[in-house]
Parts: sequence; C-alpha cells; structure tokens
Amino acid sequence: MADAIIAQDLTKTFNGRVKAVDGVSFSVKENEIYGFLGPNGAGKTTTLSLLTAVLGPTRGRATVDGLDVFHDPHELKQRIGLVFQEATADQDLTGRENLELAAALFGVPLRETPARVNELLERLALADSADRLVKTYSGGMRRRLELAVGIVHSPRVLFLDEPTLGLDPQGRAGFWKIVSELRRDTGMTVFLTTHYLDEADGMCDRIAIIDHGKIVAEGTPSQLKDRIGGDVVTVRPTATSPSLEAALKALPGVTAVSTQDDTYRVKCPSGDVLIPKIVGAATNLGVSIAGISLRRPSLDEVFLEFTGREYREDEGPTATDRAVFMTRFQNSRRGSR
Amino acid sequence: MSAVRRWAALTRRELLKLSRNPQAIITSLLLPILYLVLFGQGFNFTNLLNSNPFLTPAQKSQYLQQAFLGAPDYFSYFSAGMVGFVAVTATLFVGANVIFDKLFGSLKRVAASPATATDIFGARLVAGSLQPVGLAFLVLGLSILLGNLGLAGLHISVAVSVIGAAEVVVAILLLSVMFASLFLSLGFTIEQPQTYFAVVNAINLPVLLTSAALYPWGLMPVWLQTIASYNPVTLAVWVLRINFFGDAFYAYPAWVYLAGLFVWAVAMFSVATLLTRRALAPRK
Repeated sequence: MADAIIAQDLTKTFNGRVKAVDGVSFSVKENEIYGFLGPNGAGKTTTLSLLTAVLGPTRGRATVDGLDVFHDPHELKQRIGLVFQEATADQDLTGRENLELAAALFGVPLRETPARVNELLERLALADSADRLVKTYSGGMRRRLELAVGIVHSPRVLFLDEPTLGLDPQGRAGFWKIVSELRRDTGMTVFLTTHYLDEADGMCDRIAIIDHGKIVAEGTPSQLKDRIGGDVVTVRPTATSPSLEAALKALPGVTAVSTQDDTYRVKCPSGDVLIPKIVGAATNLGVSIAGISLRRPSLDEVFLEFTGREYREDEGPTATDRAVFMTRFQNSRRGSR
Repeated sequence: MSAVRRWAALTRRELLKLSRNPQAIITSLLLPILYLVLFGQGFNFTNLLNSNPFLTPAQKSQYLQQAFLGAPDYFSYFSAGMVGFVAVTATLFVGANVIFDKLFGSLKRVAASPATATDIFGARLVAGSLQPVGLAFLVLGLSILLGNLGLAGLHISVAVSVIGAAEVVVAILLLSVMFASLFLSLGFTIEQPQTYFAVVNAINLPVLLTSAALYPWGLMPVWLQTIASYNPVTLAVWVLRINFFGDAFYAYPAWVYLAGLFVWAVAMFSVATLLTRRALAPRK
C-alpha cells in the first residue's frame, strides 16, 4: 500500500529559539488511521499545521497524497479535510448553510451539492437540526458538524486536530464510530492528534508518541505495549530502602526495576503472581509498604516508559506554548501598528 | 467558474449574517436618522442669515450660495454630506466582523479552504460596500421627505440627468469601496476588537472633520479648505452637490472629482489586498 503522508526531518522553530517540532520523520499508509499522541505543547498541532500548510516549516519536507505540501498548498487544500480542535462553523448560519458554504469553497459541483449535503446531514445525525442556527447546537452536534464540513468534498486524507476535546465519553464514542465508518466506506487516510490515550489505543492502526517536538516511540498500540514487557507493579514504601530495591530485582520473574519519586516500578510478565512475593520480601526486610498497585500494559505505561513521566491531560503551558503565544502576540501587535 | 462560485458563496454568507443581525441594521439606520432629524434641523445656518434684518434677499441668497457652494440652504448642503458620512460609518463594521470571525474561528475554516485571499477579501468588500450604498439612498430619500413635511429638507435645485444620477451612484460606491478596503485591511491585520475600534476612531473623526461633508465650505479657513479638497469624502460629496445644485462654484466638472476618488479607491484596494494576502498566507 502506498504512503499517503510522508514527513522528512520536519522542523519548526518559533522566534528562532524554541523548537516546537524537531526533526520529525514518519510515514502514513493509505487508509491507515495514524495517531499523534502527546501532552500539551508536545508538537502535535504544530506538526498537523505543517502538514496542512497552515504553517511553513523551518526545515524539512512533506508530501500528502503525493503532493509536496510546501510547494502547492492550494492544490493540497482541495485534497485534504481538516477538522480543528476549536469550533469553526459559523454560528449565525444553519448547519445546512455551513455545509453549502464549505461545498462551494471546496469545489463540490453545484448539481451534486444538495445531495451531498443531505447525505452528510443524515450520516452525522444532523438532519433534524439542519435548518437551525448553529448557535443552538449542543457540543456534540457542533463537533459532528465540524466533521461534516471537513469531509464535504470527500477528501483523500483527513486531518483531525484533537477533535473530541471537551466532549463527554458518549459524544466521543459516537464521533469515533462515524470516523471508523467513513474510513471503511471511503478508504480515506486519517491523521489525528489526541490527548486521550484511550482514543489513540482504540482508534489508531499506528501511533507516534511525541514529546518536546520529537517522536519518542512509534508502532501499533500492541507493539508499543509489548515494548513495556508485561505488567507493571508499583510499590510505594513508607521510606526508600536500597535493600528493598535489591530484593525486588532478585525476585523471580522480575524483568526490570526503576524508581520514580519515592516509588518502585517493577516489570514482570504476571503482576498478580508477583505481588505476594513483593509483600513477603518487604516484610522480611522490615520495610513497611504504604501502597502497591498493578497496572496492565496500557498506553499510559507506554507514555511513562518513553517520556519518563506520568501522562497528564491537563498539563500547564509549556515553553513551546509560551513561545507560540508570544509569536502570535507580537505578530498581532506588529499588525496593529 | 469555481472562483465566481466561491465569491458568491462568501458574499451570501456575509449578507445572511447581516440579515440575521437586526440590531446592527437598526443601529446603522439610527445614526443617520438622528443626524438628519436632530443635527440637521437644529444646526441650520440658513435661519441665522434669514433672521438678519440688515441683509437684502439678494445679499442673503449670495451669502448662502457662497457658503454652501450653490446649495439653497444648509440642510440641502448637509444632507449630501451625510451620504459621505454614512459611507464611512457603515463600512467600519466590515473590519470588525473580520476580527470577530478570527476570534470565533470561522475565518480559520475559510482560510483552510481553497478560497484565495482575493476571494475572501473580495466577497467581504462586495457585501460591505452594498450596505452603505443602501444607507446613502435612505439618507437622500429621508432628506427629501423631511422637506415635504414642512421641516428643513433636501431641495435639489437642478434637473439631475441620467449621467448625473450614474455619477452619484459611482461616487457613493467608490467611497464605500475605499473605506471598506481600509477597514478590511485593519480587520485582517489587527487581532483584538478593542485595538481595532481605537484605531478606527483615530481615523474616522479626523477624516470626517477634515472633509467638506458637514462644514459650510464658505466658512472654512483656507488651510482647512486645502486639506479638505484632497479628502475622499469631500470628493464624493462634491460629485453629489454638483449634480444636485449645479457646478457654478466648483473648479472642475464632476468627473474630475470622480477620477480623484477612483485613484483613492484603487490605492486603498491595492494596499488592502496586499495586507490581506500577507495576513492569510501560511505563517513563517
């Protein structure tokens, strides 16, 4: 299967000093759902903005659907669909009017427009509210309308930038069900960025974990989980003890022990068998255990493994966020002079 | 064909949004109505001369003609000036709408589509220029109506030819295009509504106060007359006044002032197109 997206050494530096994206290279096969996973400021949206020609690169090249992104952005826009993380539909227009506008802008033939608009309204469960102003829509309806606007021209590659941000679990599940069906029915390639580990796990054929602008791991969800090497038992003693660490390493079945803050992360093929042994070893050493937990392989663990820190969906602004903000702020000030 | 369709779709969007905002329509109507009904009636310099017992009717007429460049009275002179006034005040909303579209994300959506900067700018320019043209004719109609109600009103003292009527329409259109271009370029380059309105106020007032829209020409100091004669609002208003009251007090025929206005409109349109392209280009 051919590559729908190829990124080579993509780099984006803001203000000449903060690298939001740092030499990112990857490829996405046709009809694949490829996820970019990372915390705020990791470089997800900047990478997506580069691939959709919203931003120009500092270095590197990219092709989407065989087209050089940075040499023919106009043609590129005809072939891709883009769903932003924020609402972009016009609130003073109806859902139908928004779709008709998008159809005209993206060159859907005039004769085909009414049928295409009706088809999307039906498919995305918006037919009953098609002639209501968007400002009266619920959050879930607005997200579905954003998706409809993004695919009105039947793009070959669909970019989704944290499309379910702020939706409740039911809304998120409904949204992804529609994306899966669209991928199956139309053969489109989907590139998505997300905060949500469970979404990436459930939706994506392959995932890249991005942190501080660099891809730190890439593979299918099961490949990434396999790289963790089984279960992880987290042991939190009341006080750190070098002798406990040595005892944990000596236990049969333990493949690795690492420390983070005041806790030990013990990797093993079967955590439920190991826990009684850990408790026994600690008792023998006279070390009290304040807490012990078992975590099955998950993308949370993968993230921790490759970035060295816990995943937080609500991390505060990073240096990149601040640099991007300052660039926009300075541009706006320059523009207003 | 697709470019025409994009323009039509974007223009339709602007007009739909405008039609769904009755408060904006009422507010834009209210300002010229208040000016005509209150300012125009209360500030009628003609009464000042008429109440002077030492002037003969011939002298009064001469003074009036010189002060108002051939217009029979101040209100007639002023109502033509109000057309220039509404072209400025009604177009400032087109730039504000761009800023709100940036804040609410809808400009981002359009910019991510194959629509070019020219499409986006052009559609807003068309929609933004139509409103002042409509308002201008409302001002003229209301001014004539006030005269027929026994109040001070617009009294057209020469027969307006077809060419003259066309000149009036073109003058209003060119002035609207010029100011819509100016305010659109501000809208595309400024991010915050507060900054935009501060800049617009800093432009609006000096433009209107250095024009011949409201002041009686004969009472203006020479230095202000010199400045005003290059002001696009003055040029547009002169085209109207020549066609309504004759060209006896003007140095050039109406088409010369139209040509000057055309230069202003093309210059502002060019600058605005350039700024819009820069604002909508992929960020470096």
